[in-house]
Amino acid sequence: MKVKGRNVLLTIMTLCLSLLFLFTVQPAHHTAYAADDSLQKIKDRGSIIMATSPDYPPYEFQVSKNGKSQVVGMDVDIMRQVAKDLGVKLVIKSMSYDSVLVAVETGKADVAMSGINPTAKRRQSVDFSKIYYNGGQSFLINKTDVGKYKDKAALAHKKIGAQTGTLQYNLAKTKIPGATVKGMDKNTDLVLALKTHKIDALGIETPSAEAYVKNDHDLAMIKSGYKLNKNETGSAMAFKKGSGTLAAAVNKSIDKIKAKHLTTQYLASAGKYMKVNTNNTSMVHYWTYFAKGIEYTLLISAISVIFGVLLGTILALMRFSKSKVLKAISVAYVEFVRGTPLMVQVMFVYFGVGIIVNLPALLSGIIAVSLNSGAYVEEIIRGGINSVDKGQTEASASLGLAKGDTMRFIILPQALKNIWPALGNEFVSLVKESSIVSIIGVTDLIYQLNIVRADTYRGVMPVFVAMCIYFVMTFILTRILNYFEGRMKHAR
Amino acid sequence: MQDKPLVEVKKLQKNYGDTEVLKEIDGTVMPGQVICVIGPSGSGKSTFLRCLNMLETPTAGQVLFEGKDTQKFSEEELTTLRERMGMVFQSFNLFPNLTVLDNLKLAPIRVKKMSDKDAEEKAMGLLKRVGLEEKANVYPNSLSGGQAQRVAIARALAMDPEMLLFDEPTSALDPEMVGEVLAVMKELAEDGMTMVVVTHEMGFAREVANEVWFMADGYILEKNKPNEMFEHPQNPRTKDFISKIINS
Repeated sequence: MKVKGRNVLLTIMTLCLSLLFLFTVQPAHHTAYAADDSLQKIKDRGSIIMATSPDYPPYEFQVSKNGKSQVVGMDVDIMRQVAKDLGVKLVIKSMSYDSVLVAVETGKADVAMSGINPTAKRRQSVDFSKIYYNGGQSFLINKTDVGKYKDKAALAHKKIGAQTGTLQYNLAKTKIPGATVKGMDKNTDLVLALKTHKIDALGIETPSAEAYVKNDHDLAMIKSGYKLNKNETGSAMAFKKGSGTLAAAVNKSIDKIKAKHLTTQYLASAGKYMKVNTNNTSMVHYWTYFAKGIEYTLLISAISVIFGVLLGTILALMRFSKSKVLKAISVAYVEFVRGTPLMVQVMFVYFGVGIIVNLPALLSGIIAVSLNSGAYVEEIIRGGINSVDKGQTEASASLGLAKGDTMRFIILPQALKNIWPALGNEFVSLVKESSIVSIIGVTDLIYQLNIVRADTYRGVMPVFVAMCIYFVMTFILTRILNYFEGRMKHAR
Repeated sequence: MQDKPLVEVKKLQKNYGDTEVLKEIDGTVMPGQVICVIGPSGSGKSTFLRCLNMLETPTAGQVLFEGKDTQKFSEEELTTLRERMGMVFQSFNLFPNLTVLDNLKLAPIRVKKMSDKDAEEKAMGLLKRVGLEEKANVYPNSLSGGQAQRVAIARALAMDPEMLLFDEPTSALDPEMVGEVLAVMKELAEDGMTMVVVTHEMGFAREVANEVWFMADGYILEKNKPNEMFEHPQNPRTKDFISKIINS
């Protein structure tokens, strides 16, 4: 028995590892033999794809224009000019800031532009254009602290906030003596932390700081006074390594834009959008944003539930099959999927599998969530099948019923009744956990929530609204599930 | 008895791990015969019965059905064997997710490919025969034990078997319900059904069986006509068992 168990374990390990091997080897080949056709590819396609994280006004942010939500800002205007010079159309792909560089590395986008500072570390993994804008560094502080923090020196030994992985973060760490640096993913969260006095100051680019001060009367800003190398502190566009021809063409456009001082004009028009936008920051005003978020969250959840249950059933039947291979595949799958975080799976499907087949973000999200849910549903169904009395199988066999019929007409219906509460739990958690797809730019409720936060400069209210919406959705779902549970009880 | 034997059991042996449940069983069931298997609990009666329709696979020895070795049966032949050899369980094992009527209809439709209409007609006929036609559309959990077992018998009969196996059909019933089930079984026997019945109902064995087999410790220690068995048991273990039953 012991030896047998070890064999199964070995098979599982081999399967997992070969899967890993397959995916790690593939991209290496890709880059090694790719010639620089970066510019030609874009011209052939007739469009340039820009990856951006639109929660960073005035660089890029989302507004609703004629009832349609749209990404605007200085970066977008610059890129539009670049596209015009290249003679191609501009396509914008929104995603979380963490994902924009990965998107160009994996070919999901041609250019990443999101107020990115071309640090030496980043230069190791992507190519950068020339600096197109140098906004300078500032600190946001609470207006009540204006007397206390007059300059950088006053911030020594204080708590400084900054976006994780940004230049501001590193500067605060290295250039302010004794400071505790607190990193978060989004500036909206950091501003909230500042206003609730969890941090004393927030390191941020000057144009963003100006935008916040203009829109929030509780905030004030001070100049950073850092002495910096211009080549590292400005914003630049990122390309996949080896995109020399594309970078050269883009740099030409940037030179032209700089010569004509177009950025000043772009910033001004971005400022106008922001004014329009912050006139009304009530949550009702943003209902279309939330509605779209609900739509996508429900869409992803509903499709994923269906495929999750289908996949889970198939995996469970494989688990009970006589074939050792099928059994091993099912076990390996479940172990592997349960042993890795959903977030990693979502990124793997979008970026990793994307190297072979280019899947849109929404589809990637649905696939990842379905594949994940399938593993959990398998475990639930397996438990359900085991919970059905053995006498049922025997009675069925004694009547000459085939194994498939026994499963279909006798075991599964009874199993379903037993596992319904657990399955309902899985559905509810699916609705909530599908929120992870926001990191690859699927406009689900969480993604929309962050857009609204960036847009209104209000930190808490949108979160509260989203919380209520999630609760209402899961509450209704629970009622529906209870209704069916009641009906099944009646049938017994 | 006429004809060839329907079932022959030769040197049947069954182990569960290291436990020998059946050590050496030989026996013959002729068409139309009613055989009651009695014996103390743990003697292997149920296991023996379940080896006949291959719910349990024998460890050694043979079970021949119409002269053919059941262990060499293909999936198809096994299905045919089970069609022809129905079984009734101690704990009824009705399908709780189906109505009484659907419990009866499922196998004829799926296995015999009977039309829904024919299956329903047949099922209603059988329910009438066991006196439960008014229960056709209820779910099994609302039936009493006696009713459930009568439905289980009707369900087995729906496949038109030539032979029925009963595994302690009345042991899980309240005493007042035993009679109604035995009455149905008696009627079946009178109609000429071949039956192997594992039971503790000595009255039934005495009245209905053609032959009584006494099992203990994985062997059949004595086979005899019921009167002989109960009046003049030969084996000391049989004597002991029967005296205990009668005096209890």
